[in-house]
Order: sequence, then structure tokens, then C-alpha cells
Amino acid sequence: MHDPRFGRRLHRRQFLAGALAAGGAVAAGRAATAQTRRTTIKMMQVSHAYANGLTAQLGEFEQKTGIKVEIDQMSFPVLNQRADLELASGSGAYDVIQMVFIRSGRWIRAGWAEPLNPFLAKDKDVDVPDFVGGAMAPFRRGETIYALPWLADSTVVGYRADLLDKAGYAKPPQTFEALQEMAAKIHTRETAGFVTQDNLHWIWPNWLISYGGNFFANAPDDLTPRFDTPDAIKTAEMFATLLAKYSPPGGAKLNSAVVHAIMHQGKAAYYLDGFGNVQRIIDTTKTQLADRMAFANTPNGPKGHFPQLAVHGYLINPASKKKEAAWDFLRWAVSKETMLKSALEHGHMACTRSSVLNNPEVKKKFIWRGSDMPALHEAVMKRAGEGYMAYRTIPQFPPIGDRVIIALTAIASGQTGAADGMKALQKDAEALLRKDGAPMKG
Amino acid sequence: MSSKRRRPIVRGLYPVAVGGLLLVVLFPVLWLVLFSLRTEQESFRMPPRLFVMPTLQNYVDLWQGKFLRAFENSAVTATATTLLSLLLGVPAAYALSRAGFRSERPMSLWVLATRMAPPIAFGIPFFLIYKELDLIDTRLGLVVIYLSFNLSLVIWMMRAFFDGLPRSLEEAAYIDGAGVLGAFVRVTLPLCAPGLATTAIFCFLLSWNDFFYSLILTRSEALTAPVAIVNFMNYESWDYGKISAGATLIMLPVVAFSLAVRRYLIRGLTAGAVKG
Repeated sequence: MHDPRFGRRLHRRQFLAGALAAGGAVAAGRAATAQTRRTTIKMMQVSHAYANGLTAQLGEFEQKTGIKVEIDQMSFPVLNQRADLELASGSGAYDVIQMVFIRSGRWIRAGWAEPLNPFLAKDKDVDVPDFVGGAMAPFRRGETIYALPWLADSTVVGYRADLLDKAGYAKPPQTFEALQEMAAKIHTRETAGFVTQDNLHWIWPNWLISYGGNFFANAPDDLTPRFDTPDAIKTAEMFATLLAKYSPPGGAKLNSAVVHAIMHQGKAAYYLDGFGNVQRIIDTTKTQLADRMAFANTPNGPKGHFPQLAVHGYLINPASKKKEAAWDFLRWAVSKETMLKSALEHGHMACTRSSVLNNPEVKKKFIWRGSDMPALHEAVMKRAGEGYMAYRTIPQFPPIGDRVIIALTAIASGQTGAADGMKALQKDAEALLRKDGAPMKG
Repeated sequence: MSSKRRRPIVRGLYPVAVGGLLLVVLFPVLWLVLFSLRTEQESFRMPPRLFVMPTLQNYVDLWQGKFLRAFENSAVTATATTLLSLLLGVPAAYALSRAGFRSERPMSLWVLATRMAPPIAFGIPFFLIYKELDLIDTRLGLVVIYLSFNLSLVIWMMRAFFDGLPRSLEEAAYIDGAGVLGAFVRVTLPLCAPGLATTAIFCFLLSWNDFFYSLILTRSEALTAPVAIVNFMNYESWDYGKISAGATLIMLPVVAFSLAVRRYLIRGLTAGAVKG
């Protein structure tokens, strides 16, 4: 007999309905667990418009693949420190990491970048040949590819066409000697003849290599430093003269933000820097002088034209436990579609794919007062692919580069003469390379 | 002119001199705050203009970004570290001051071990240990690190204050029936309030301003404000507006805390300077 104190009797139909509901709830719970268990990967890179573009498009990627991506953007000093620590300690916390090209030598030598060839063999749609030669070079060792490039910054010149015109220059100077003459002619207290950013170990080689000099005898096989050669001393003097005499005050120590402001306010007539930065000086929301700016190739030296190229890629962390997911993200992040969207919607012009740079919409967007900027950029990337940039991807480059900046700053500020400064740099570099066991045949 | 007649003039110049000196010392801070209230174009205008229409856009941008989370991390870790350091360090200092251990001198010296080398020397070992303990990118991890550095500061600073207090005060409390703990809490600690305030400020500042350990031991979750500010140095350009707005915000709690305890702070800093 049913005891009314225990409530209503449970009928069979009610029991079945309850069982069904419970089963459904368990199934739903499992589905939810599967959702929360979906793969999450982490990526670290420098704060950049390209990463903003990726973040904006992530929803689409996550919907398509079910892979959740967390992108940590940070400044270069923080990235350099953290990436080194994460990779050296074998931490798999970050699955995809920005490969800074001047660190590629050290990282590849240390085995801190997963070879991408097995992934590339599976996914033919990546179209590696579409990446312009100079952009791929830092990440290849023989046939092995360790990273894919998303940013290539090529050195070009941005100049005030109106000021040059007034000084009698229909087009910008074609040689570094002519540049110096022009800077001297234009330079006044109000308007500097020349300005560049403080990453001097990247700017000076535009002069150095085109005068026949180089950092090393024959990188990467013979790393005997070549800082005390007549070419190195002459170009250091030329470059330091521009910084000291024809730049705004503090010419050797102006960071990119200050340089942009100088150009925005019309305080300099001629600017030499990477394309990604040069592009910012025509930001019409910040300057009314944008329509007076034009762009051109960097000048030539007696040995030819050697514009510089800085490349950044994405690598897969060998300690990652989610390499397949990391690869899915990496190939999407540098795909033609993603890069095109970044160019068109986020203003990222320092692209690495030829197809994107030659896209009609991109051309239309980035041709400025007759200067075909995508073509200029692609030409520099092709030129850099010929091999003269190898000096920057040797494992010992970062500390050598720092010392070059110190030496050039000392020369530009008058603390030392060009010859003495470069000889001191030579000794310093020799000691550093010898300590590291670098190949020196000289 | 006699020296008596000159004196009022000289005295009258003191405020001017002090004001001038203050202006020189505080000018970078003033400039930072002004920067944070300007647009980028205005910040870099040459020649600069002192008075412009201020904008709060840089602060709005910080509010909408991830900076607040970093600010919260800084506040939580610095406060927790300060409280824990005082909780553990003050009794330790008292014990070293009063207990008369045989090995008191070497113990005091070893307390300083964590300060005998620059932080970078401990960076890699801490990273590797933290990796194993899964403490990287956690607030707890930062608190533990800061605690290890702050404890020595607390112990050494507070010990000097306790040494300066006559034992007879505690002995009087014992006669009145207080135990060691009672005498410590009711007699010694209130007399050392200036020392506590000074030590607390130093502890807070050390944790609040730490850059190095936050740089290497955090990723995104426990990132603190000093590192978050550096991350405004973008590849293409530095965002000076956000950098200065962030720096202004970072200064505020320290200034507020220092003002709140300034009475104790001055007494704490000058304690023992003159002995009667």
C-alpha cells in the first residue's frame, strides 16, 4: 500500500519520462564537456597590426576548426626575453611563437623551431613559393623550413616632395653622396635634412654593403668581423655625419614614435626606414602633410643597391603538445586569404606574399602619389633574397648588433672618431665571436 | 647693509628656492601627467604647448584594454606581499632583537642572502622551479617571490626599531601581568608604528614596481602593470599616450598610500637620528 506521507506514487510513464530526461541531460553534459575540452593553443608575438588583424578574424578560424587561439601581444623587449626563456626551458606553454629573424640562427641551431616540412608535405595549399624569396630566406636551412613569414620590413625612403622640389630635386638622390649633399642643402633649424630611427644596426648596412663592406668576411661560413675596413670606417663616418649634422637634435637616439611625429609635423624632409614604419608617416588622421609625401628606393653606393630586409615569421614550438592544431593555426595565419584581409582591412602592407602584393585591390590601396609601394616592397624582398642579408641570421648577431649601435652612437655624438670607434668595435666583436667559437678564417 | 637687515630678505627667498627645487624635481612627473592628457600629435608638438585642451582618451583606451587586469594583479600581489611580509617578518625581527640566540648574528646575515645577488641571478632557477610547480603566470607565484625578497627587508628594518626600544617597557608590562605576546602586541608594536609604516611602504614599493620577476614569471594572466606598460611599445611605434596614462595610474596608489601614512613615515625615517 502506498504511504501518502512519502508523496505521490511514481507512475511508470513518469519514470520513463524522467529516465529519458536524465539521459538527455547526461548526453548534453558530455557534449558540453567535449566543447570545453576543445583544443586551445597559445601564440606569442610582438604587438602589431597584423596580430590585431588575426584577432579580428579568429572567430572565423575557431568556427571552422574548433581550435581556440589565445594571442599574447607584447613589446619586443618582453618578447625577446620571454621567447628565449620559454624555448630554452622546453616549456610548451606557447604553441606558436614569433620567429624574429635576427634570432633565427640561434634558435634553429638550438633546435627551438619545429621543422615544418612534414606539415607542408601534407598541405600543398600553403603555396610556399608565393612567399617572396627574401622573406623565406631567414627561415630556411638547406631544404628545411622552420618558420613561415608574416612580416617583411624593407628599407625604403619617404620624402617631402614639395621640399625637395623647392631645393631643386625633381626626384630623391640616387646615391648616398648625393643624399648627403641634399641633406646639407635642405637642413635648417626648422626642417632637418634627414631622419631615421635608432635601430642603427639595421639602417647603417644600407650604406655599408653598398660601399663593398659587410659585418663579416663571408657569413655564415667565415665570421671574421670587418668593422675596421676602410669601407666600414668611411660609411660609419658618412652615416654619423647625417645623424649628427643634418638630423633633428638627438639624431642617433630617436625612436620610431618620435620620428613619426617629426615627419607628421614637417620637421624633416627625408626619412629612411622600414616600410611598415614609413607607411605610418602618411597616416592622414595624424598629419596634414601626407599628400606631400612620396616614396622611393634607398640610394645606391659604388657597389650597387643593397636595401635591408627585416623578416618575422611564426614557428611551432618543439615542446608544444598540440603541434597539429598549432600547424592548422599557423598555415591559416599566413594564408593568402588572411594576409589579404590584413592588408585591406588593417592596413598591413609589409606583406610577404607576392599574390597579396599584386592583388589589384592592394595595389589600389597602397599606391601613394604615384609611388607603387607594393612594387617597391616586393622588389626589395626579391633583391634581399639574393643572399646579402645572411649576416643578420648568424647565431651571434644579436649581441654584435647591439655593439654596432653603441659604436655608431658614440661616433655620431662625437665621443670618438669613426676610425677609433670602428677599430674598438672590431676588437669587441672579435672577442665575442672567438668566445662563442664562431668560424673565423681571417 | 647689516646682516640683521638682510636676514628677512634671505628668509623670504626660501619659499622661492624650495618652490623652484620642487618644480625641478617634480617636472618629469608633471610632464608625464600632461602627456597622459594629450593627443599624440599634441604630445610631440614642437615647440610644446603648456596649456592645451585635455583629453581622457588615453585613460579610456586603458580602461577598454587589458591594462586594468594588470593593474589589479599589481594591487593584489603587492598588498598580499606587504601584509604577509609584515605578518611573518615583524615577529621574526622581534625574536632576533629580544631572544638573544647564540647564532643570532649568522642568522641575521643569512636572512639577507636573497639580497646578496642581483635579481637576475635568481631568474632562471626560479623559472625552472616554478615551471615544475606550475606556478608560472600565477599571482601566488609572484607573492612567494616578492615575499622572499621583502622578508629580509622587514626583518632588518624592524629589528633596528625594536633594538631602539628600551626593554624596560616590556618588563613593566610583564610585571603588570602581560605575557610575551601581550607585551609585544600591546606595548612594543604601537610604539613601533612609524617603523611599521615605513617598512610597509618599502615592501609595497618593492613589489609594486617590480619589473624583472613579472617579466619572466608571468605570461598573460598574472601580468603586472609595469610590464603591461612596456607592452605599449608596439612594433610600428610606441604608444606614448597609453604609456604615460598607465604610468600615472601606477603612481596613484603609492602617492595615496604615502600621503596616508606620511606622519608615521617621517618619524620612521628619522627615528634614531638623534639620541638623547
